[in-house]
Amino acid sequence: MAVQNSGDSLLEMFIFETLQNTEQLEQIILDTEKEDGFSNNAINEIFRIMHTIKGSAAMMSYPEIASLAHKAEDLFYFIRENKDVKYSCSHVSDLILLCMDYINNEVSGIRENRDPNADESNRLIEELDNYLCKLKGASTDTTNSEKMLAHISYKAIFYFEYGCEMENIRAYSIIRDMREYAYDIVTVPENVLDNDETTNIIRKSGFLVYFTSDKAYSELQSLFMNMPFIRDIDLTLTDVDICLQAENENTTSGRVTVESESEKIKNEETLIKQDNHSSGQSIISINISKLDKLMNLVGEVVISESMVANNPDLKGLELQSFQKEALQLHKIIVEMQDLVMSMRLVPLTTTFQKTHRIVRDMSKKLGKEVNLELSGEDTEVDKSIIEHLSDPLMHLVRNCIDHGLESEEVRIALNKPAIGTITLEAYNSGSNVYILVHDDGRGLNKEKILEKARNNNILTKPESEMTDKEICSLIFLPGFSTNAEVSEFSGRGVGLDVVMQNITSIGGSVSVESTEGMGTTVTMKIPLTVAIIDGMNIKVGAKNFTIPITAIRESFKPENGSIFMDTEGNEMIMVRGECYAIMKLHKQWDIETEVTELSDGILIMVEQEEKRRCIFADCLLGQQQVVVKSMPDYIKRIKKVEGLSGCTLLGDGSISLILDPAWLINSEIKYGKGE
Amino acid sequence: MINVLVVDDAAFMRLAIKNVLEKSGFKVVADAKNGQEGIEKYLEYRPDIVTMDITMPDMTGIEALKKIREADPTAKVVMISAMGQERMVKEAIINGAKSFIVKPYKEEHITQTLLKIASDK
Repeated sequence: MAVQNSGDSLLEMFIFETLQNTEQLEQIILDTEKEDGFSNNAINEIFRIMHTIKGSAAMMSYPEIASLAHKAEDLFYFIRENKDVKYSCSHVSDLILLCMDYINNEVSGIRENRDPNADESNRLIEELDNYLCKLKGASTDTTNSEKMLAHISYKAIFYFEYGCEMENIRAYSIIRDMREYAYDIVTVPENVLDNDETTNIIRKSGFLVYFTSDKAYSELQSLFMNMPFIRDIDLTLTDVDICLQAENENTTSGRVTVESESEKIKNEETLIKQDNHSSGQSIISINISKLDKLMNLVGEVVISESMVANNPDLKGLELQSFQKEALQLHKIIVEMQDLVMSMRLVPLTTTFQKTHRIVRDMSKKLGKEVNLELSGEDTEVDKSIIEHLSDPLMHLVRNCIDHGLESEEVRIALNKPAIGTITLEAYNSGSNVYILVHDDGRGLNKEKILEKARNNNILTKPESEMTDKEICSLIFLPGFSTNAEVSEFSGRGVGLDVVMQNITSIGGSVSVESTEGMGTTVTMKIPLTVAIIDGMNIKVGAKNFTIPITAIRESFKPENGSIFMDTEGNEMIMVRGECYAIMKLHKQWDIETEVTELSDGILIMVEQEEKRRCIFADCLLGQQQVVVKSMPDYIKRIKKVEGLSGCTLLGDGSISLILDPAWLINSEIKYGKGE
Repeated sequence: MINVLVVDDAAFMRLAIKNVLEKSGFKVVADAKNGQEGIEKYLEYRPDIVTMDITMPDMTGIEALKKIREADPTAKVVMISAMGQERMVKEAIINGAKSFIVKPYKEEHITQTLLKIASDK
């Protein structure tokens, strides 16, 4: 049935399911590679997945995907039916992975309304075909290879001429004749011969036959029309998996109805859905945008609750019962908030698993064998964060293999294990998730990094003052790339600064540690969620600001005598023997306030990546969980406001701007004149 | 020209079928009044299609069908049945009858069925 983009939900389902299938396929292939050859199970599974993809793609009118999947299915059909045929497992894996990449790409393209790339599909089909021919040539079992001609799934509804009588027996003779060229025949109603009752069903609704055949549509159409007593025939391409289900449904209800076209579509849609959920009835998939909305609403509820409970109208009133109920409401809301948050949490498993593919492809291409170890894949992270995590992780892993790990000969010469190991590790700590990418390769060469940095003019402070860690971190700066030759994988002209950008954009940070000759560890620190944070609300003049609690070390009233001026006349503060620069928010933002003297206000020490600075504000308003909202679009359009990571509503309904800790630490301090 | 052998115990039916077929351009090369004769005529004339009544004395149409198909597995036999003979029709179909026509039939039922079957392969 050709459904040209009809029903977005059906299309969504198709995309969702196909992507899921390809993911599963990739997993199977990577698993089998480890085991040196496809197991029977794996072959069946691959065959089944390709079959499903083919069926749904044909139904959704994506012939490129359908025909490619069809070809791949052919190949595995052949392998399945000819057990002793010799094939190169690694070559087949390569082919299938390529097909999968193509399908993945096409399916994602559907969302962007991209035109299908038929050339690529044809090229892959040809490649599969060539290999299949080669296999067939090698196989002596000709009867099997003839049978293996892959079959297209069809659905046919036969309508018999009025008054032809004994329709059930006619139906039977159709099936009998079809057996010569059709396989996997399933009929509705079934057992037409033994049950004369079926005559009435066939008379009313036609005789429904699902089957597969290697014959083309038009050929079948004319064959069927040439059968005696056929009034009409409704032949459609379909997918047999879905049909088998339909058949089950129909027979259990004991009757068949020929639905209108739209009803059929609806039916198949639900069938696809059922198919998806059959593995676990207790799990349903929800559109992420709905969760986002829910999250937002819960955020609003949190704010409204505190607006109601702390309403100024209630001030000074003795409201015992009200307070009690308000407390109960608060409890429920907090619970709800936690629940919604947990709904958005996704384990890192899939993201981690994806690295298998990268490792495989690269180690094959570069001839470096690599051992990939994963730990803590079940660590959960907010869905919106996961999306930003995949690319940096791939980038880092690619870098490890390409630049980090030495070749086998070198490793042996260095007395290291011949096979390099890359370790991915994830763990929770506080409200952060740490992700470590470690390799046991050559490590970073600090001399080279410095030299390169010097050449590219990206040094920010004198070399002699830089710690090892700071030197290593240079590799994350834009415009830095130590590998002279551009390799296919890592050197795409973008450096590791992309990793840094990606991670900081979600409020995380990246640091690197390396011991020369022993390996490199890149640590990504990522907030568990970006939607709700614990914040400290502060006041500067008439404005409210919120600083994420995680960035705050302490806050204190400056002692007299601890403040001194540096050589340029800027205020510094000495706390427990350490010196910190002071950033006065009212100067930074040009805010009018009465509190300008350090002794009148409060200092908040913020820390990020082991750098600290003291922020001066009028006073603290208190700690609160705040719902982070991104800056409204109309503001973003006017200009990019630096230093703000979002905004939020406070309990009294006023707006508070959330300060970006990274900015607080790294931005240039504006010192007012005369200070 | 499609050659047909008509097998029926009733002379009236043989004539009726013959009339219908010849009006539509078929050639009835022979007819037979029972199963045994049907087999003999089939082997003699090798027609393209046989129309075979089911209930006949001595040897039923089904027996004849089996014998004919035994002798020539490509033989195309269309059964002529009365209402209510489901069991027999089933047996005939299982034994290789190409199709069947239920009496009382419409003329085009016969002609179209035979045309379609004759053009088959």
